[in-house]
Amino acid sequence: MDITVKVNGIEYRENVPANMTLLQLLKDRLQLTGTKEGCGIGECGACTVIMDGKGVVSCLILAVEADRSEIRTIEGEARGEDLSEIQRAFIEYGGTQCGFCTPGMIMSARELLERNPNPSREEIAEAISGNLCRCTGYEPIIHAIEAVARKKG
Amino acid sequence: MIRPFTYVKPATMEEAFDALKADNSRPLAGGTDLLVDMRGGAMKPDLLVDIKGLDELNIFSVDSGRRDVKIGARITLNLLIDNKTIRDHCPAVAEAAFSIATYQLRNRATLVGNICNSSPAADMAPPLYVLDAQVVIASPSEDYGERTLPISEFMTGVKKNALKKGEMVIRVEIPELPRGKTAFMKKQRIKGHDLALVNLAGLADAEAGKLRICIGSCASTPLLLKGTDQLFKETKNTEKLAERAADLAVHSISPIDDVRSSGEYRKDMVKVFVKRLIHRICS
Ligand code: FES
Ligand code: FES
Repeated sequence: MDITVKVNGIEYRENVPANMTLLQLLKDRLQLTGTKEGCGIGECGACTVIMDGKGVVSCLILAVEADRSEIRTIEGEARGEDLSEIQRAFIEYGGTQCGFCTPGMIMSARELLERNPNPSREEIAEAISGNLCRCTGYEPIIHAIEAVARKKG
Repeated sequence: MIRPFTYVKPATMEEAFDALKADNSRPLAGGTDLLVDMRGGAMKPDLLVDIKGLDELNIFSVDSGRRDVKIGARITLNLLIDNKTIRDHCPAVAEAAFSIATYQLRNRATLVGNICNSSPAADMAPPLYVLDAQVVIASPSEDYGERTLPISEFMTGVKKNALKKGEMVIRVEIPELPRGKTAFMKKQRIKGHDLALVNLAGLADAEAGKLRICIGSCASTPLLLKGTDQLFKETKNTEKLAERAADLAVHSISPIDDVRSSGEYRKDMVKVFVKRLIHRICS
């Protein structure tokens, strides 16, 4: 099937099989390998991207379902060498260790801060509760997101 | 890898029903259950009919004047949670939705999908039972028509429902926003992806003398307890009512042992949670 998707502002036209997931489209076809695959069944959040403004897991969406949608991934965060504010906060507060969960975490954080610029600690915890992290213990991630919210607010 | 299949996204109901005539076809809404099952090989459809292009299914009307609610098959759990009237008047619905999976999945998962999947542990079912929800089913185009079933007749068994080949649930209706209090509760081993080992919803309307309790995950379909109105009228003391309702609940179920819990533990949890539920809706 022919689809058109906008990813991080760039329009792509692709011919994809029906059984290709959005995650496979991003990683294998478009070579945007920042988004990660952990479980492949919606449980870990490593594959989180923003689709038409909403945080979703790209492993449970077909590429064909993303036709005519606008996707944002971790590759859209930095401008060249300039990291985004959220990325810098994750580094500053130790919100990333092995880094596997980080692209998904950052997309969840970005989506949260866009719909709710002043989230409470509970709201932050809820927003990232679909993103599993085996390294940090979550606390540094929450601090990083709080710090970004404080600066903006 | 998901096994190959064909995908169509109809723009009209006629096209959708035409497509659903094909053997081994399935409607696709949020896909949060279906795609997991397809990946695991439990489900092997040859054709997916994406219903997200159908405007008819996008209806979401909550009329606090007329007091009725219509929830189309495309309405996601997060849309329900974000709706203030739902939160204020049917907290059981919002709480059940919020208890499902994670934020990202709730941006895709739908209420109609949850009941069509027809798991005995479907979290949206107990609130719909206590609210007397109606399931609106549309049939294929030759004899295009709609039929409406109460949720209790829609859910017929483990992963079974009253849908016939080619039919589709287009929306769920709550005929009247409740005047009393409602609540949803659930016991599960971990929050998020694990299914409930017990889930339940209640509605108490003192003025109308109505008490309804529905228990999920303890039989092949959710179970609406019988005799609760009587109990409610007879028992004014909340503590006593909680005790008696818990006893009634435990005697009404005979849950099985499974991977999540023994039947015995389920019974114990039903007792604990029915009491808590009564305290929440009757005080
Ligand atoms: S890879 Fe998508 S949620 Fe785990
Ligand atoms: S930093 Fe390793 S999983 Fe989160």
